[in-house]
Amino acid sequence: MSIPIAEKLSREHAALAAALPVRVVSGARRRAAIDELLARGLPTGRDENWRYANLRALERSSFAPAAPAAASDTAAWSTLLPAPVAGFTRLLVIDGILTSDAGAPSALPAGLELHSARASDSQPATGTPTATPTPADAAINADADERFALLNEAFALDEITLRTVAGVATVPALEFVFVSSGAGAVYPRLRLEVVPGTSLRLLERHVGGSAGALTNGVMAVRLAPDAQLDHYRLQSQGVEATWIDTLDVAVARGADYRLHQYAVGARSARSTLRIRLAEPTARVTLHAASIAEHTQVQDTYARIEHAAVQTRSVENFRAIATGRGRVAFNGHVVVRPGAAGSDSKQSLRSLIDGADAEVDARPQLEIYTDDVQCSHGATAGKLDETMLFYLLSRGLSRETAQSLLKWAFLEDTVAHIADAGLRATIEALLAAHLKDPTIAAGRRE
Amino acid sequence: MPHLLEIEDLHASVGSKKVLTGLNLKVNAGEVHAIMGPNGSGKSTLAHVLAGRPGYQITRGSVTYDGRNLLDLAPEERAREGLFLGFQYPVEIPGVNNVYLLKAAMNAARKHRGLPEVDAFEFLVLVKEKMKTMQMDESFLSRGVNEGFSGGEKKRNEILQMLVLEPRLALLDETDSGLDIDALKVVSNGVNQLRSPERAIVLVTHYQRLLDHIVPDQVHVLAGGKIVRSGDRDLALELERRGYDWVLREAAA
Repeated sequence: MSIPIAEKLSREHAALAAALPVRVVSGARRRAAIDELLARGLPTGRDENWRYANLRALERSSFAPAAPAAASDTAAWSTLLPAPVAGFTRLLVIDGILTSDAGAPSALPAGLELHSARASDSQPATGTPTATPTPADAAINADADERFALLNEAFALDEITLRTVAGVATVPALEFVFVSSGAGAVYPRLRLEVVPGTSLRLLERHVGGSAGALTNGVMAVRLAPDAQLDHYRLQSQGVEATWIDTLDVAVARGADYRLHQYAVGARSARSTLRIRLAEPTARVTLHAASIAEHTQVQDTYARIEHAAVQTRSVENFRAIATGRGRVAFNGHVVVRPGAAGSDSKQSLRSLIDGADAEVDARPQLEIYTDDVQCSHGATAGKLDETMLFYLLSRGLSRETAQSLLKWAFLEDTVAHIADAGLRATIEALLAAHLKDPTIAAGRRE
Repeated sequence: MPHLLEIEDLHASVGSKKVLTGLNLKVNAGEVHAIMGPNGSGKSTLAHVLAGRPGYQITRGSVTYDGRNLLDLAPEERAREGLFLGFQYPVEIPGVNNVYLLKAAMNAARKHRGLPEVDAFEFLVLVKEKMKTMQMDESFLSRGVNEGFSGGEKKRNEILQMLVLEPRLALLDETDSGLDIDALKVVSNGVNQLRSPERAIVLVTHYQRLLDHIVPDQVHVLAGGKIVRSGDRDLALELERRGYDWVLREAAA
């Protein structure tokens, strides 16, 4: 870590230490996080796993979190809220803080418990009043290379805990809108536990203003045996924003984790996904699409660890880079010794539109067991000229034809979504970044 | 009345290979022309050059369409001006659905003529009627363009697009290849529906049998990059009987 960044980190933390809520993270843990960061440094472009990320904002941004008062200033963020999706109950997290009324029990669908560590001596809110909340499990674990998780721990203003409740017939559908309202640093922090045999549909949207906030979020997800989670993450931060994300997931026996992640926003975005198939027959499916335009950087590092027998992972990633945009995707699959019968598939496909655009898509396999099925494919190319000519020969403008082909390319990551309203939301988000918002609507006629 | 299409002394190359070597052809509105010829004679090149496919260099000659220099127009402009190419090998475009392409194509042409977008309901009524003609199931509408279609289904889909777009000049590049007898009748029936005094059709084909169903006004033999013989439909029958050798010998003489 450069000396100016280290000094800034140390100074800003010292100045704020007394004001940071101990209910969220104790003062000792915050101090320990800072000490560890100062010792190890934040990642830089010289770190192998960070070479494609654009971390320049760290040099100029303040690490001090945006003032909590921003949450009550609705004018500052209400215009940033995307249209709701039918069937999903919405909760707002403004500058890292769960807004007070959103946590009320009445706001939650049945089958969920919610708790905000910041909210003053409140009981955990719950959509199922008879359920007894269990104590939060161990602290969100900062892995060896999850230094941004440490940064979050040092400065977080809230920690949201969400837990499913067994014995509810319907599958709850919940939406978190994470808003970064201004230019200050934002530290969303969420812990999710899907208890045995339950299911959840969780939609996350990450939006922000034009001021260029530094958002550094951490999310820890635990899927208990036979739990199911459909996890939708839509990143459409403001054009000047820096968005850093650490998602840590553990999947237990027979559980099924389905992650659908779409990145179109921010100047510089980095998503670090760590998914551990911890017990036999745990499964994960990752559908992801990234679009980088202008000078955007969309960097994703996905580490899937097969740590038990008969585990299965599928990754389907699509990237489009235009202008001077850059997309990176590192699909790192680790099969542990003894994880016999593991099955891993990766398909990484990229479309590069323009001489200055760049895509770095890399499957990376580390296999320590013989009895495994691992396949991967990575392709990168330009728009198909034969397809393009076919569309032109039907009278479509070149711009429309190109947008349509890009759309068709990404569609593979969306088509599987059964919920029509949600799929339409995601399609519209992608289409808006392909210069032709009508193409998604047209597809469904 | 001027010709709808007038090709004069057209020379075209792919890389260093000269494919068209002085081709002349005049097509009037209301006519159906068949272009036949041995493999490699330049038939498909002619169709592609007229539609504006990149990769061909026009080294000499002119193409006038409806009084305009066709070669000055981009492919999409040619389409909006009423030129349609039915592909020999229609490409599959997964993720772009058929009905969307049909509508986008129709609206592109309408916009070009200063017309408003087609009414959604009228459009569907029109498309479904044309699908009946082509004996296509409506489920094709929501599928990706040509995605997973059999060879015959792709050809029907080309003619469906043609019927919806109602071009003034249709170039059909081996639309009959790969069709069984029943499908050939369906496709021919579709093409015949388009025949009218305002429109012209140019069929590129290897086989006389198509011309049993779509009776041409003129038949041309393309060989070595130029038209070496023209006649009426009897010429096609004679070619069927005698092959191309005698035409080529006479042309060389």
